[in-house]
Amino acid sequence: MTIASFGSHNWGMVVDVDKCIGCNACVIACQAENNIPINTQDRVERARSISWIRVERYWEGDFPDAKARFIPIMCQHCENAPCEPVCPVYATYHNSEGNNVQVYNRCVGTRYCANACPYIVRFFNFWEPVWPESLRNHLNPDVTIRSRGIMEKCSFCVHRIRRESRKARSEGHEIVDGAIQTACSSACPTTALNFGNFNDPNSKVSKMRDDQRHYTLLDQFATDPNVIYLAQIDADKKVGVGEAATHG
Amino acid sequence: MQQRRELDQVYTNRKLLNGQLDTPKWWLPTVVTLGLIVMIGIAVILVMVNKGLGVTGLARPVYWGLFITTFVFWVGISHAGIMISAILRLTQAEWRRPVTRAAELLTVFSLLTALVFPLIHAGRPWRIAYWIMPYDVARGIYPNIRSPLIMDPVAIGTYLTGSTLFLYIALLPDLGNLRDRTTGWRNAMYTVLSLGWRGNPRQWKMQTVGGILLSALMLPIFVSVHSIVSWDFAIASAVEGWHSTIFAPYFVIGAVHSGVSAVVTMMALMRWLWKWDDFIRPEHFDALARLLIVVATGWLGFTFLELTFALYGQDAPEIALREMQMFQWPWNGLFILFFLTAYAIPVPMWLFKRVRTNIALMFWTSILVNIGMWLERFLIIVPGLARRTPFVYTWEAYRPSPVEWTIFIWSFAWVTFLMLLFSKFFPLVPLFEQKESQVFTDDVMIGRAKVPAIVREAD
Amino acid sequence: MASETVAAGHEATDHHAPPPQVAAEVIARELVATTIGASGRFKAWAWILGALSIAGIVALILKFIDQGDDSTKWGYVAAMVSFLLSVAGGAPMVSMAPVVAKANWVRPVTRIASIFSFAGIATVIMLIPLVAILPPLVTEGARRRTVWYIAPDYSPHFWTTLGLVLLLLTGIMLFYSAALPDFASMRDHSTGWRQRLGKRLARGWVGTDVQWRTLRMRIGMFGTFYFLILVFVNFLISTDFGQSLVPGWRDAIFPMYHTVSGFQAGVAAVVIALYFSRKYMKLEKYVHLDAFWSLGRLLFALTLLWIYFFYSSFIVFWYGRSANDIATLELLIKGPMIYAFIGGLVLMWFVPWWILIWNKVRRGTGAMVVGSFIILIGLLLDRIRTFVPAWSVPPERIHEKWLTVIPDTYWPTVFDVLIIVGGISMVAVIVMLMTRVIPVLSVWQVQEFNLLAKPIKYIKGHATLVAKPD
Repeated sequence: MTIASFGSHNWGMVVDVDKCIGCNACVIACQAENNIPINTQDRVERARSISWIRVERYWEGDFPDAKARFIPIMCQHCENAPCEPVCPVYATYHNSEGNNVQVYNRCVGTRYCANACPYIVRFFNFWEPVWPESLRNHLNPDVTIRSRGIMEKCSFCVHRIRRESRKARSEGHEIVDGAIQTACSSACPTTALNFGNFNDPNSKVSKMRDDQRHYTLLDQFATDPNVIYLAQIDADKKVGVGEAATHG
Repeated sequence: MQQRRELDQVYTNRKLLNGQLDTPKWWLPTVVTLGLIVMIGIAVILVMVNKGLGVTGLARPVYWGLFITTFVFWVGISHAGIMISAILRLTQAEWRRPVTRAAELLTVFSLLTALVFPLIHAGRPWRIAYWIMPYDVARGIYPNIRSPLIMDPVAIGTYLTGSTLFLYIALLPDLGNLRDRTTGWRNAMYTVLSLGWRGNPRQWKMQTVGGILLSALMLPIFVSVHSIVSWDFAIASAVEGWHSTIFAPYFVIGAVHSGVSAVVTMMALMRWLWKWDDFIRPEHFDALARLLIVVATGWLGFTFLELTFALYGQDAPEIALREMQMFQWPWNGLFILFFLTAYAIPVPMWLFKRVRTNIALMFWTSILVNIGMWLERFLIIVPGLARRTPFVYTWEAYRPSPVEWTIFIWSFAWVTFLMLLFSKFFPLVPLFEQKESQVFTDDVMIGRAKVPAIVREAD
Repeated sequence: MASETVAAGHEATDHHAPPPQVAAEVIARELVATTIGASGRFKAWAWILGALSIAGIVALILKFIDQGDDSTKWGYVAAMVSFLLSVAGGAPMVSMAPVVAKANWVRPVTRIASIFSFAGIATVIMLIPLVAILPPLVTEGARRRTVWYIAPDYSPHFWTTLGLVLLLLTGIMLFYSAALPDFASMRDHSTGWRQRLGKRLARGWVGTDVQWRTLRMRIGMFGTFYFLILVFVNFLISTDFGQSLVPGWRDAIFPMYHTVSGFQAGVAAVVIALYFSRKYMKLEKYVHLDAFWSLGRLLFALTLLWIYFFYSSFIVFWYGRSANDIATLELLIKGPMIYAFIGGLVLMWFVPWWILIWNKVRRGTGAMVVGSFIILIGLLLDRIRTFVPAWSVPPERIHEKWLTVIPDTYWPTVFDVLIIVGGISMVAVIVMLMTRVIPVLSVWQVQEFNLLAKPIKYIKGHATLVAKPD
């Protein structure tokens, strides 16, 4: 079969924290790609800023031996997503390609999903988004602009997935590994962010996932995320695998 | 115990219908003032719908705040009606009689008010219909019945329907009474509403059977409503203060605590405003206060279990949350206030019979309880969300905005407004219950002592 | 109001007929007479149950010698402690009802309910080896999750033992304080050792105002104490001997659930005891169907409360889906315990619910007693479901964050079966023997019952005028 069959993909991401330099390029790329409203000073101060991917800083270890670390966090696209069953209108659900998707049209803005999410990666549009006149033509035509009153979150650049799928289907071949890149992964200068198909055992991400450094965030919630992290290695000390997972 | 007092029926009719047959002087100014507040509140709601939820103080990660707290509060108050009418009816507590109507009214009006909050707190309230009404014509999908938010309107809708029916059935004999005492358009209205009530034995039997059946049917709904509301919170395993198995009974007993206290508040007001000293008597306050002591102490036990098992796991995030809730400003101030008002001040006071039969003290202590119970919900909902979670750079980002406070005040004005409007057209104390209690009580001589007695069906 | 007293001695065949009025003197004589002598069947049952109880104790000792070092094999004994605590501890609570609700129907039932506090001896016997075997709070250098955050290492062992012994003593005191007038009746109406016992234990009861006031005050006081200690012991047994042995099982409602199902079993046990004593001691004149009717309603309400508490905890685990929620459900419900769980669910709630919902059933006695037996079996299954898997977690793993491997369940050996049968027999035999020592219906409560309920003619039918003194 040459044409990509429906359901044969399980899109996921492997984040090599060891390679991350905390440059925030992914954040900017995401902001530009997905028509995210500008996070003005006022919005940041009122804790209403929106950033689908963010680089979080956290501390590891106790005082004399403490280390400042950072880790990029986006929607984890959990297989057992806590946000999905609580939505009364199916605005968020799990699609057949392993992604947790948000249907903006259905959303009525109960914000229940955001409360249920342990990673706090869901964002509410408190106001109608506005852009300065000069930026009007910079908006990405592939991405819906979210009106006020609805939730939004990282979509794994679903428009790019759709575009590549369509292209591959029209050209009559499978999607080539690496052909789809999310905005953040293509912007990452150190290839810390890697996007691909976990269902293909030969894909780059599937191979990376087998690395012994792998862990998932907040495994006590048994969410089974599709974003896999590879732990940071300290040259001077052995760090147990998955140790970073529970620090805040 | 209830002391028997002979009240003749003419006097009962004249006294208890004084709100309908003539208007007390204070009525009109009060209703106009409340109406103004209600109008302002509705205007603010409309502004909020127009501008968006940005006008509230909500922010990440506190996405639910004052509105949901007030929603839970009013659902809690609504538990008064069935508690007083149905449970006490099934357990044959005689002192419930003059209070039933007021309690059922409180149920209906507080449910109507509670329903407003989840609707206006949604991001796009004009699209809410397809969340509540399961239709799939335009969208091709039904609502997600796994969501507790679907079960909420179902439970509350059922409860509201049942309570309204319950209220109406209990109103029938009194409507017949009013029909016979009015003229003009009022007479026409009561004629239609009383459904041909003439008080013949068959009608009485149907009315009684209907009341008992509805009592029994409403009990499971009564329990389920607040359980389902509590599961809105309890199922969220990622929120430390919420994910507790005890939430359902804890919320229900808390709701009974606040609901019965609200009935006490209302009874005191009724006694003062309509001068019904002969019908709402200190014995009734005494009985309700005794009930409240039991309920409040049971509620305290549940609170204790909730806290114990929060710390039981000895997990760092849970302990951090509790530390914030109890020891960190401003939550610690609210927590102390909550504990004092919900239990520590009123309940020890109620232990004294002098307090239980003092109307003014009962009025103020019952208001204290409701302040405390509102704070309880606030302290569960908001700190649970405002806690500092791993990997998030914002926390504790909530301060209710003036818009939220206005709508909060509106809800109280709205319930009172509805209640006063109702009192103009329908009696707040059920006349037939009052007369029935005259028939069903007697005094018996045991030895040389005169003991109050109640007539029961023979076994 | 027109009310007219119906002549006493009316036949109690028709359901709506008023209860017969019996003179106080007759009540005392007849009830005291029920203690004397025993039929051959009674003696045979007492011997059989006594032998089974002793076999149970022997099995307990042998098991302790044989498996005293392996806590994973003691689940059934723990389930038995919880079961006996529920039956023997819950039943006396029924006798507190008149104090709380001023209900008249319960007066004839109080004695038989408070006799069950003697059966607490069986609970204490079962607890002794279990306390020795309960793992300490710190195992493998790590502290397990308990309510004893920083308390000394053997706190649960100490406090549970203390609580259970106190419960037994308070229960006996509750029994004794309400039995004083009856010992006086035995002194006045019995012969032989019973009269001597009555004389000794009545402590000069003649029924003065002061004595009655003291009696009521004592009942209220011991009743309150009893309730508090019962809740405390239920809390300790359910958390320390159940919940805290499973890593990640954090169920705030479980102590409440344990207590409520304990009351349910207690009421069921009272119904059974009441049924047999009514039938075989010919007490139809004193135990009216009203008592069964009201006990049936209580049992029905408790059955619903059981499913409510169970579901409240289940839905939060099931929906919560975090790692420890999943493990807890797997261990206690979906895993090896699925059949015990279904049995418990059906027998604790579904079947009794469908039996007790019918007015006709609650007006009679036969189906009521069947429903009560079903509830007791259901409770046993439910206790096995919760305690056996909890104890099957090996002690070296109980301090983990959540259960990663579901341990194999432990199947009962002959010893365990003997212990279970012996424990149940012990309760039965204790209650049976106590009915030979003191009237199974409280004489003064039955007298008071007759005094306060007056049959009247009401319009065209019969009614009862129930006095409600303060």
